[in-house]
Amino acid sequence: MTVHTVVTVPDDVVSGTSTSNPVPDARRSRAPSPWHLVLIPITFVLLVPLLWMLITSLETPDEAAQFPPTLVPHDIRWANYPDALNAAPFGQFFLNSAIVAVVVVLSNVVLCSLAGYAFARLQFPGKSLLFASLMVTLMVPFQVTMIPEFLIVKWLGIHVASGVGIDHLGALIVPNLVTAFGIFFLRQFFRTIPVELEEAARIDGTSRIGVLFKIVLPLSLPALSTLAALTFLDSWNNFLWPLIVIDSQSNMTLPLGLTFFQSAHATQWTLLMAGNVMSLLPMLVIFFAAQRYFVRSVAATGLKG
Amino acid sequence: MAVAAAPSSSRAGRRLVGRVARSEGATGWLFASPAAILIAIFGLLPIAWSLLLSFQKADLLTPDTPWVGTANYRQMANDPLFAGAIQHTIVYTSLFVPGTIVVGFLIAVALNRKIRGISIYRTAAYVTMAVSSISAAIVFLWLFDPVYGVVNYGLSLLHLPQQPFMSDPSQALFVIVLMTVWGWTGFAVVIYLAALQGIPQDVLDAAAIDGASRFTVLRTIVVPLLSPATLFLVVWLTINALQLFDEVYLSTRGGPLYSTSVVVYYLWDQAFRQFNAGYAAAMAYALFLVIALVTAIQFWLGEKFVHYSS
Amino acid sequence: MAQVELRNVTRRYGSDVFALRDLNLDVADGEFIILVGPSGCGKSTALRLLAGLDKPTSGDILIGGQVVNSMLPGERDIAMVFQNYALYPHMSVYRNLAYGLKQRKTPKHEVDERVRRTSTMLGLESLLERKPAQLSGGQRQRVAMGRALVREPRVFLLDEPLSNLDAKLRSEVRGELKRLHHRLGITTIYVTHDQVEAMTLGDRICVMSEGTLQQLGTPQEIYESPANVFVAGFMGSPAMNLARVPLVAGQVLWGGLPVAHVELGLDEVVVGVRPESFRVVGADEPAAVATVDFVEPLGSHNLVHVRMEASGAPSPAGAPSPQTAELVVAQVPTHERPTPGSRIRLGIDPMDVYLFHPASGVALTEVQLSPIARIS
Ligand SMILES: Nc1ncnc2c1ncn2[C@@H]1O[C@H](COP(=O)(O)OP(=O)(O)O)[C@@H](O)[C@H]1O
Ligand SMILES: [Mg+2]
Repeated sequence: MTVHTVVTVPDDVVSGTSTSNPVPDARRSRAPSPWHLVLIPITFVLLVPLLWMLITSLETPDEAAQFPPTLVPHDIRWANYPDALNAAPFGQFFLNSAIVAVVVVLSNVVLCSLAGYAFARLQFPGKSLLFASLMVTLMVPFQVTMIPEFLIVKWLGIHVASGVGIDHLGALIVPNLVTAFGIFFLRQFFRTIPVELEEAARIDGTSRIGVLFKIVLPLSLPALSTLAALTFLDSWNNFLWPLIVIDSQSNMTLPLGLTFFQSAHATQWTLLMAGNVMSLLPMLVIFFAAQRYFVRSVAATGLKG
Repeated sequence: MAVAAAPSSSRAGRRLVGRVARSEGATGWLFASPAAILIAIFGLLPIAWSLLLSFQKADLLTPDTPWVGTANYRQMANDPLFAGAIQHTIVYTSLFVPGTIVVGFLIAVALNRKIRGISIYRTAAYVTMAVSSISAAIVFLWLFDPVYGVVNYGLSLLHLPQQPFMSDPSQALFVIVLMTVWGWTGFAVVIYLAALQGIPQDVLDAAAIDGASRFTVLRTIVVPLLSPATLFLVVWLTINALQLFDEVYLSTRGGPLYSTSVVVYYLWDQAFRQFNAGYAAAMAYALFLVIALVTAIQFWLGEKFVHYSS
Repeated sequence: MAQVELRNVTRRYGSDVFALRDLNLDVADGEFIILVGPSGCGKSTALRLLAGLDKPTSGDILIGGQVVNSMLPGERDIAMVFQNYALYPHMSVYRNLAYGLKQRKTPKHEVDERVRRTSTMLGLESLLERKPAQLSGGQRQRVAMGRALVREPRVFLLDEPLSNLDAKLRSEVRGELKRLHHRLGITTIYVTHDQVEAMTLGDRICVMSEGTLQQLGTPQEIYESPANVFVAGFMGSPAMNLARVPLVAGQVLWGGLPVAHVELGLDEVVVGVRPESFRVVGADEPAAVATVDFVEPLGSHNLVHVRMEASGAPSPAGAPSPQTAELVVAQVPTHERPTPGSRIRLGIDPMDVYLFHPASGVALTEVQLSPIARIS
């Protein structure tokens, strides 16, 4: 991550369900807009990959391996899903992905809040130096740090605890417990909260930690959920780091597991697509449950899977 | 704190101020230290260590890492595989970035109107943001399958010759371009739609009254007024393009014979397959420098050509 | 240059929002006409229809005798000045002015000449290389005018062009607009909600309310014989005093003073008196008696806010008491400066009293001339 531009996206742009319906234009509402003729093909092309994934995941292997392709499956084969779960431990991949993502999200929310608040509001010796180092780590691409990170994780596994070492889930969690981006993001947000609110509480005798938890964090729910959503997205879709540190199937996360399955069963497209659909579901659920939110978060930070 | 500082003329007051400052410093460190320690271990230390590694010969296995001076950096200049990776990265970036921008711009313009059902179209454009690079790559491999792929079927319907796609080194990179453009379309659309909504309607009206055709308005008013969004996208997409890895790994493993390897793929291969970690670290630093340089150049060009409102 | 005509123009949004309802308007070649009315009455809609930025739901728009309903804005040879100026933010002043000419494939040397000529006329020569963001509000307004003028259009449309200027600048530009129109003689349609601008600028004024035309006439006609209560109350500053007054045997008594006689079988009428029609009179003259509320000194004259006392007329037994404590504004010379709470005697010339129908609001003289036609 090198650039952080905050793009503000108007409500109207992100709304999946338009709340502010303008009075429809009388003249135009009689005949549908000709723009539908442009938009329908565009939408179709954009959705083809997802549709095709879904269709293939419901076809029989014979239908999938035909040319010309079977565009509409004759009988829908739900069995591809349990078959996929049997052919590869997709359930295990799913669980691993979930464990890693949940722990990383929770720890980021807590640790980035604490540090972000310290950088936003507190004076402490060494603060500016610390903040400068934060900015440096923000600007350096992951490729620079991944080799030493691998060595550090390896060392930790040998000398501290095997659970955080190479080929353990801990290796996926510990280096990502906190991100410079999260600290920076929350610091920027905390600085927009009027300091008078905090001062009033301080005068009433509330401690710093009390101010943070009772005043600042409740006011920061939008920023915290943005951070949570993006951290989840990042963790769920991360590929390169798991590829480097995980070897055994039982510890693979979904993207790695899918890749593993793909190279092992290259021709079983129906099962692969079923696995792919399953791995996509959590992100799609989040997307549709909170589209407004999701879209705005991605636009504001430039992070995506 | 203003309250604590009020009686500061007295000695007790000064002590109070001192205590508050000290306790604030302590609280600050208390809050920041968990993050600071983790950032130091997994952020700062690797940055320095990587620099060190780039002057060493290291294989990730033996603890012995002899100093080799600038040999790793010099090796980059004489490595035809690295040169190839750079070439593929440049080709990829110069197709992916303009491709995503043009597609995103056109779709955003089409979506920027208040007609019935517009939110459905927008949702369809955004949903690509939720798809991971690996998922997208797997689907595109299947779409572009040389034997059973739907795309070849489409070509056959148009009476066009069947294509080998991924199995042909000269085509694989272009399929990768397509899959990543698809994956980033939603992002580009949101950025452009937000920027389009920022253009005042009366400016567009004024241009229509001045006699400009719709296309001329687009070319002479809309495109220039979108230039900050375009600059942002160029910078951001370039940074991401230079770091392409997942799709290459999944679809070709850089092969055959490195014919589709890009810089990060080659770097990963050198570090974790060939165990030339020192050389890989040097390449990573070179990549970092290039990214910083490209970003700086883009911003510098932006200063000259981008219109920022107010 | 050209005359402009709106024929039965209606613009409807959705099924029931009428921005304009059956509007008819004839603007003579070279005329300066004002569309005035409160916010939301459809003025901008009318202008946008003329410009071709919007299309009428029904009715015809004619420019130079030709129906232009299906012509694009750029083909109508009109120019428009927008409330927020709508300058092209990324272009220099020069390019802003030249843009319209370039779209019309004007030869380069002619573009240059016309831009220079217009910028000299408006005092913009030194600003040609600046971007709009580097200009003051007044300068931007000038550029907006220049962009419209440089094209030498057949019709000039202005939508509240002065509303973003401070008061002093506004009156300066007003004078300048008048001079420019005099010099160039371009048909001009000017939208404002400010009735001072309407009175001072227009050859004729078109007063609108809720999408319909209320009255069309010269400033003098609008001021002297408002067609209905709306026009009477909207035009004139300070606004005309209006009150519902019950009729006692055809007598209109206001503050105890008989001001008119109406024989139409009505129970009440709306009475209107302009603040400037009052005179402070002595005890020997007939007058309405009022209590002074407060006084606003304005330098050239004072505005006295008073409460009219209950009508002096004996109310018929059982009938509700006639209006009480009506708030009224009177404009008086500076030497009349009554203290709050004191009593004041206000004389009115019956010639200055306006009467309106209590239900339709139409001016009563007209009702008397054609009583059925207007009360629908
Ligand atoms: N696009 C639109 N959709 C729905 N109603 C509109 C639209 N444009 C204008 N209106 C309505 O039409 C009426 C007239 O608007 P307008 O012409 O802008 O008024 P004015 O310029 O006199 O203030 C208003 O009530 C406004 O709400
Ligand atoms: Mg208006």
